[in-house]
Amino acid sequence: MKKGLKLTDILVTIVIAVAFGIVYILWGSIYYSVKPFGLHLDQLIYGMWFMAGPVAFLVLRKPGVALLAEIAAASGEFFLGSPWGLTVLLYGVVQGLFAELVFMAFKYKNFNLAIAVLAAIASCLGSVVMDFAYGEIAALSVWNLLLFLIARFIGSIFFAGVFAYYLVRVLEATGVTNLVRPVSSKEYAELDQK
Amino acid sequence: MNFAGAETWLHKVNPSLKLGILMVLCLVALFIHDSNYMMNVTIGVLLLFLCFSGHSIKHMLFLFVPFCFIFISTSSAMIFFGKGETLWFKWGLISVTEESFMRGLLVGFRAMLFAALGLTFSLTTRPVNLFYSLMQQVKLKPKYAYSFMAALRLIPIMMEEFHMIRNAMKVRGFARSTGIKAIYFKLKAYSIPLLSGSIRRAHRIAVAMEAKRFTDTAHRTYYYEYGFSRKDQVFILYFIIVLLAGFYLAIHFPLLPK
Amino acid sequence: MKMERIAAVEKLRLKFPGEGALLFKDLTVSIDKGEKVLLLGPSGSGKSTLLQVLSGLIPQSIEVPMKAEQLKCPASWGFVFQDPDSQFCMPFADEEIAFVLENLCVPKEEMREKIQYYLNQVGLKLSDIHTSIDTLSGGMKQRLAIASVLALEPEVIFLDEPTAMLDPQGTKEMWEMLKEVGHDKTVIIVEHKIDHVLEFIERIVLFNDAGQIIADGPKENILSRYKNEMKEYGIWFPGVWDDYIQEHEIIREHSIHDGASILQLRDFGGFRKKEAKIKVEQLSVHKGEWIVIKGENGAGKSTLLHALMQFIHTTGKYELAGTPIKKVKNPTDYLTFVFQNPEFQFVANSVYEEIAYSLRINKKHPQEIAVRVQELLDVFQMEAHQANNPFQLSMGQKRRLSVAASIVIDKPIILLDEPTFGQDSKNTFALLEWFEEYRSRGVTVIMVTHDDHISDHFATRVWTVKDGHVISDQNVTQQPRVPMAEAYIF
Ligand SMILES: Nc1ncnc2c1ncn2[C@@H]1O[C@H](COP(=O)(O)OP(=O)(O)OP(=O)(O)O)[C@@H](O)[C@H]1O
Ligand SMILES: Nc1ncnc2c1ncn2[C@@H]1O[C@H](COP(=O)(O)OP(=O)(O)OP(=O)(O)O)[C@@H](O)[C@H]1O
Ligand SMILES: [Mg+2]
Ligand SMILES: [Mg+2]
Repeated sequence: MKKGLKLTDILVTIVIAVAFGIVYILWGSIYYSVKPFGLHLDQLIYGMWFMAGPVAFLVLRKPGVALLAEIAAASGEFFLGSPWGLTVLLYGVVQGLFAELVFMAFKYKNFNLAIAVLAAIASCLGSVVMDFAYGEIAALSVWNLLLFLIARFIGSIFFAGVFAYYLVRVLEATGVTNLVRPVSSKEYAELDQK
Repeated sequence: MNFAGAETWLHKVNPSLKLGILMVLCLVALFIHDSNYMMNVTIGVLLLFLCFSGHSIKHMLFLFVPFCFIFISTSSAMIFFGKGETLWFKWGLISVTEESFMRGLLVGFRAMLFAALGLTFSLTTRPVNLFYSLMQQVKLKPKYAYSFMAALRLIPIMMEEFHMIRNAMKVRGFARSTGIKAIYFKLKAYSIPLLSGSIRRAHRIAVAMEAKRFTDTAHRTYYYEYGFSRKDQVFILYFIIVLLAGFYLAIHFPLLPK
Repeated sequence: MKMERIAAVEKLRLKFPGEGALLFKDLTVSIDKGEKVLLLGPSGSGKSTLLQVLSGLIPQSIEVPMKAEQLKCPASWGFVFQDPDSQFCMPFADEEIAFVLENLCVPKEEMREKIQYYLNQVGLKLSDIHTSIDTLSGGMKQRLAIASVLALEPEVIFLDEPTAMLDPQGTKEMWEMLKEVGHDKTVIIVEHKIDHVLEFIERIVLFNDAGQIIADGPKENILSRYKNEMKEYGIWFPGVWDDYIQEHEIIREHSIHDGASILQLRDFGGFRKKEAKIKVEQLSVHKGEWIVIKGENGAGKSTLLHALMQFIHTTGKYELAGTPIKKVKNPTDYLTFVFQNPEFQFVANSVYEEIAYSLRINKKHPQEIAVRVQELLDVFQMEAHQANNPFQLSMGQKRRLSVAASIVIDKPIILLDEPTFGQDSKNTFALLEWFEEYRSRGVTVIMVTHDDHISDHFATRVWTVKDGHVISDQNVTQQPRVPMAEAYIF
């Protein structure tokens, strides 16, 4: 960990996040269209809101990126006029922090599917903690609460874990990740050819 | 966001202070457990929003639709499935109790309050002003602040790019395929170029910013300078009054059953 | 008298990650204070890359493996990039220049005055300096970019094709303006369109296609002594067109097959954001015509093409091969299109796949695909780059690829939005001959371009667009400098 993130890293992270911020807003309307059923079908797609962190981290592979991405995505969503208002900011910080902690626990050296899934679960945990404070979901009857939690965790693993991982794999194929990742020393050695 | 509205005194409140106060209010709202009090505070904030956001009534009504949606959707789950003693109504899995009903209203009003606070802020604050103020009052590092501003500038460009990609797909003969597999391909065909294009653009802009001698030192001057004024005092005072008056009214003139 | 060196590299080696070969191998160049230098070379020779090395952007901001025995970058410099949209970080014109002033710690009180001063210097007249950058035209954006660079008070200005998107008038004004503001500065320029630059610069550095410097000296010497090399490598020099016309006799008829028109417009309008941005009273297009659309920046040329492609909402009568457009299921069965910005249309991850894309979608035989793609790679000089990612190409290469990818499947009408900008002469002629070959087979070519040579020597018809209206429609009947001009008069 050198002297923190460079301007390029920050700007790229924030732009990824803002792109997700737009998706989040659109996602909100899908979410509301399934929500009134009450049986927590909506929770299955809740995991989408945790995606920015893992995606940004897997693209840039640098410390602090996941947290920044979630905060930035939430701010983007907020500025674009999310009906959730300032809550998204609070949630964003917590979700990002939880994901960041997972990446940190592995010293920012792991970029596989498992780590993405772990980060997704962590973000989900963070959101549940927030929900206990804000939504008073503890007051739901037990069977309903369980349904709620299971649905949300499954959704998170799918969207923020598996989907995020494969999204970055496809992005890598477009060559864009080379722009933001460090160049290997092997490339420098090849300068001495002939 | 659309800034077509007129400027009001709310626009002139120090942006960092405004954000700070609204955040504090969000936190305070987490500790309000009385539906009457919550309702009063929500109404107080809505009044501020309606009277001083500077936007036309039509525009605000349009923004209001999601508010109602939030209210209904957030409270319904709690009302129909919440725990409680005093049973009002039961049908299959659905059981409406007095406690769950009141809690449903509480949660609904809280969601509405948050939405109102958020809109009040985003409709009366230009992001650029907020980030300048954050750099000055909260000492946010310039590299973060300018990155945010540059990224927000990119949003309309991304929208434009989305149309372009769609058109390009048409030209290349993409639109013809249909079916479930085509949906997957379409999703991929839009999201990947959009995302990778945005990353490339972000990288270019960062390079251009560094070429303009941008460094992350604390020493810089500011084109927009923010301090504090009378309006800030009025703003703080307004919320103190709302909180106190709301509390008083909730105790002495409750509108909802206790 | 020995001048003071201000920017120099000695024995520069540079290689892009993942590429086998070096782009520069032991390249040495040195620039003195106050010089006005033009880097000239074929597309893909490494001019843009060298400019970034000399400014220090590579490797400080863009990490590319490189080393040099000596590297001297100027202390104070400014860089004008090619793409006007990706160099601003703030939403308003005044804020963008203020961003630079802030970086230099100019006191707030002086800012407004300075912003006004720099805007005046580049001739950008805004009624209010607080104008949204999105509402500026391409030319105005480039002026703003230069104004913000001037605000750095740089000793050295780097310019990477600053006029690629501008109309001839805008280009001329831009160089006149640069002559004024840059007279006491060192200016290093990459530019293909040399008409107006030549008056401004004193020295030319000439590249070949292998990234080597083949000549370096005062412009008069280079232009007179290296004409053959320039011709060989396909670099623009004064009189390329005359030479070309002399050697190639372009024979055209007004229309290949007379008879019914293939495209008809009447009271046709194209809308952007509910505002009519282009209006056409009546036009009818025939098979085998080559139509050039001319007009100033922002006149509505691209909008006209977008309207024809049905990308935007249109009104009025529009018929394709006699069928009203509403009844046409896929306008793309008749039309193909090359976007103004090549990056918008890249869908694949390699140059080869990009060209093969439409063929694969149309389920062509693999053998046929291979042959066709190879042919296009050859014509457009992209064989060496076939495995590269389209985004990692040079500007000119991107442009060529976008054309190749769009015309790989034969369609009766080809619409092209400035297909030759940023090209060297060799590739420009290759493109034009390719289109001409299509046209002679009965394909209709409709092309937006600012290049008068194309309308003089290749077009059969010229439309002029002004303020959203097609104000003139002329058949090209006179071919100056072409022998047997009578043959073209019908
Ligand atoms: N990121 C990259 N990765 C791999 N190759 C690259 C990358 N960027 C440029 N190249 C290659 O390096 C060569 C030089 O590119 P450069 O942009 O410097 O050319 P140029 O002389 O400016 O050409 P043009 O006149 O077309 O703009 C090209 O062949 C290009 O394909
Ligand atoms: N996506 C858009 N949304 C709204 N207005 C647009 C859009 N694109 C272009 N315009 C406006 O439409 C008008 C015509 O623009 P157009 O791009 O067609 O000009 P052009 O003749 O192609 O110019 P150039 O030579 O710079 O390419 C301009 O006033 C421009 O500002
Ligand atoms: Mg170039
Ligand atoms: Mg155009």
